[in-house]
Amino acid sequence: MSYNNPPKFADWLLSLFCHPEQVEEVQGDLQERFQKCAARSGVRRAKFRYTLEVLGFARFIFKQRRRASQYQTQIFSFGMLTTYLRISWRNLLKAKGYAFINITGLMVAMTASTLICLWIQSELQFDRSYSKVDRIFQVYNRDIFNDEKSVWSTTPSPLAHELNASYPDIEMATRYVPLTLLLSVGDLNSNVKGALADPDFVRIFDVNLLSGSENRLLADAGRIIISRRLATNLFGTENAVGKTMQIDHKDHFLVSAVMDNLPESSQFQDIDYLIPCEYMIKPGSASADWTSNNLSTFVLLRQGAQQAAVNQKIRKVTAHHLKGTLDNVANREIFLHSAHKWHLYSKIEKGEVVGGGIVAVRLFALVAIFILVTACVNFVNLSTARGEMSAREVGVRKVAGAAKGSLVLRFISEAILLALIAGLLAAVVIWAVTPAFNDLVGRHLQPDFTSPRFWASGLAFVLLTGLLAGSYPAFVLSSFQPAKVLKGPYRFGTAATPARKCLVVLQFAFAIVLIISTLVIRNQIDHAERRESGFNKEHLFYAALPGNLEKHYPLLRDQLITSGAVVSATRSLGPTVSLNTRQWGVQFPGSVETDKNVEFDLFGADREFIATTGVTLLEGREIDISKYPTDSTAIVLNETAAKAMRLKTPVGASVRFQKTDWHVVGVVKDFIYESPYSPVKPAIITGPAGMLAHQWVNLRLNPAEKLEKNLMMLEAIFKKIDPGYPFSYSFADDTYEARFAREKQIGILTTTFTGLAIFISSMGIFGLAAFAAQQRIKEIGVRKVLGASVPSIVGLLTADFVKLAIIAFAIAAPVGWYIMDQWLTDFEYRVQIGPGVFLFASCSTLLIVTSTVVWHSVRAALMDPVRSLASE
Amino acid sequence: MKRNYLGEFEELVLLTVTILHPGAYGAAISDEMQEQTGRSVSISAVHAALQRLEEKGMLSSAFGEATQERGGRRKRLFAVTTLGSQTLQSVRDMRSKLWESIISKDLLVRGI
Repeated sequence: MSYNNPPKFADWLLSLFCHPEQVEEVQGDLQERFQKCAARSGVRRAKFRYTLEVLGFARFIFKQRRRASQYQTQIFSFGMLTTYLRISWRNLLKAKGYAFINITGLMVAMTASTLICLWIQSELQFDRSYSKVDRIFQVYNRDIFNDEKSVWSTTPSPLAHELNASYPDIEMATRYVPLTLLLSVGDLNSNVKGALADPDFVRIFDVNLLSGSENRLLADAGRIIISRRLATNLFGTENAVGKTMQIDHKDHFLVSAVMDNLPESSQFQDIDYLIPCEYMIKPGSASADWTSNNLSTFVLLRQGAQQAAVNQKIRKVTAHHLKGTLDNVANREIFLHSAHKWHLYSKIEKGEVVGGGIVAVRLFALVAIFILVTACVNFVNLSTARGEMSAREVGVRKVAGAAKGSLVLRFISEAILLALIAGLLAAVVIWAVTPAFNDLVGRHLQPDFTSPRFWASGLAFVLLTGLLAGSYPAFVLSSFQPAKVLKGPYRFGTAATPARKCLVVLQFAFAIVLIISTLVIRNQIDHAERRESGFNKEHLFYAALPGNLEKHYPLLRDQLITSGAVVSATRSLGPTVSLNTRQWGVQFPGSVETDKNVEFDLFGADREFIATTGVTLLEGREIDISKYPTDSTAIVLNETAAKAMRLKTPVGASVRFQKTDWHVVGVVKDFIYESPYSPVKPAIITGPAGMLAHQWVNLRLNPAEKLEKNLMMLEAIFKKIDPGYPFSYSFADDTYEARFAREKQIGILTTTFTGLAIFISSMGIFGLAAFAAQQRIKEIGVRKVLGASVPSIVGLLTADFVKLAIIAFAIAAPVGWYIMDQWLTDFEYRVQIGPGVFLFASCSTLLIVTSTVVWHSVRAALMDPVRSLASE
Repeated sequence: MKRNYLGEFEELVLLTVTILHPGAYGAAISDEMQEQTGRSVSISAVHAALQRLEEKGMLSSAFGEATQERGGRRKRLFAVTTLGSQTLQSVRDMRSKLWESIISKDLLVRGI
């Protein structure tokens, strides 16, 4: 009988219509009829009928239920799962070394990524935990000066009231100024951080009042709301309502309410009291009008109001009020900045609010993922490399009728078991290292070990890790063909297949990127630390002069100098190591209109400025009101200021600002008083005749005496002159050092994670090398018998991994360079990424790889060939 | 006890399976039904009925041998289960009971 084929198209249709399990019988029946029909009425007719009949099966589309039969393969059953787990456990015990590598790697990675996740979570929640967070906004200012866009977060004082009163979209508005004031109760004096605020502040930010009346809070002068913490500190009890305290030894305040401590995860965390804005911003004063931008304005939008629409409405509010006062208000605008973005998206760059903290969050999220991937790669590599061990098991299981699906489950369950063990260990480690990690990141992260959510997410994390690590090996191992693996010793070739090589390269590329980052961050910090600060940071002490200390300054000075604890002293606007105040509109010989916009940073001095701070004098002399009576209007410029004024001979020039004519008596070398990464700005050191009183003192302590002794004498003198104020002070070197804190923190974190990544990757190749050496044991035996030297064999075994490290380096170097180049753009004073970084990174990688692998290589090379070749 | 419902076509298929046993499979059932009843029977309807009956538990099935004319595909051979034969029997009993009553009535009418 001739054999004809039915139309392929119809067969394809049939495969769509019927359940795969049913296709065989149906197609068989159809084809039987087709053959009969073809023999009887011809092929064409048969084909037509065949197609028609196939179409009849269209009814089966909706009827794809599985036929219950004894052929159904069960992929999942509880009984099998327990068997799988038992066998996985036996496998673990059989190969303890590999299990150790896998579990340690996973444990370290899970610990690291959990900690990073906790940190990310706290970053994401920071300043967002208010109940009305979606409707809370801060008002920002925007303008264009000299063709440069500018954005700033401070606003004029009357703005809050105006917005609240005239715009129905704005439900509440409050002014806010954080400040530190001296509070005293009886003999107890302490400088405490608090804030000026309007009544709406309490409602916008859900301030929880523990006691005290709700009405007229912050509306009456002389009333203060204090935190529970402060109440306990000052009064020894939380029930402080109705008690009084003194601010700055002059103003009496009545505690009208006690509030709960403001939440730790908010920018107000260290605010301990709220007082009415009018205490500092007196109505009618300069600080209360539209020209000065000196406080933050927070608003709460009405339910349903759209940010964009409100922005449009309020855009010109300040410009409207400033018309006539300012020369040009065409570009002055205000806009809303959502509370969701305060913490992570508030960096101002080139006059735009751009990302900010979110960059670090994203980078560390990547680091967390990669560290986890690195550990999973270890599992993938080791379990596929050791496939030989499982090959026979897979073969026997398949012959006995196991479906591929159930084998996949078998290997994934092994991975999950490992991940689970690692996860439990990680939980212990997390518990142990959280305090240290908190110190490192300056947070108070506390994983809640008692909450079911913690364990649920932990379990999810374990499952995810298990799947990530186990999926690929599961599919590779379960696809072994029983005929091949059961026939005899099944050889997989070398320990490093292309897939495994890629994964090792990935691991090392990641580690190398981290190494490069660590090096560059270190270099940058070193670079900035080595930068000439321009003044002598050692023994430079500064303190504010409140109360009698200011009044009786000459007495204070005499006593300090005669005590021997102080070498020299200068009275000033503020500490020399930080920005004190800024001045616009400085007129100097040859100045033009645009020069009015140049900002000069102001410092103050009465005498001995140079001797006290250690700044270098370049030209002229320093201010000394004891020798020159006219020096109260003398100024000294820094180099940059002299340059900005384009003065050939600055000394003797006359400069006008603050409605005063100043005369330049000297020029000093630039000194760093702001970020050590920024260029120095023009600065002017003024004599005491300026608008702002010199309420600080800078002292050079006697370096010959012990610091403790100096401080004790200072405290005694300060207390004697005004016992009403606590003796508070700072040192220049501490303040200067603090400017590096953020970068140092990032440096330490990066170093830690680099160490972990290297550790995990090294463990991985350590395991692979062990396996490679074991697998090539006969080859090595033969080579040795034929006369190969030990070094050549060691080289042979090591070269494989060194090659991979080199490829990884080739990939990682440009990536690392790019990332770090981006990071460095944040710093104006920055280090160049030189070849040294890459040289060091490559050498250290090679060293790490070689030293990891060499142990196995040497052991294999030294083995007696008689032993390895004896059997077989 | 809930009686198992059996459609007319299903009944025919079930009977045909009984006739053809042990060689009852889709194509053969379809041919046999066509021969016995003289009406055109679509193969897909037969398959649908077979599947339905199997779900109802009146048929059981197992793969049989493959033949060349089937392109090397196996047949699915059907057999009537106890439930199936009981159901057939009960349908038949009910019918004959009905017939008997018709016959006795007929006789009554004729005055016998």
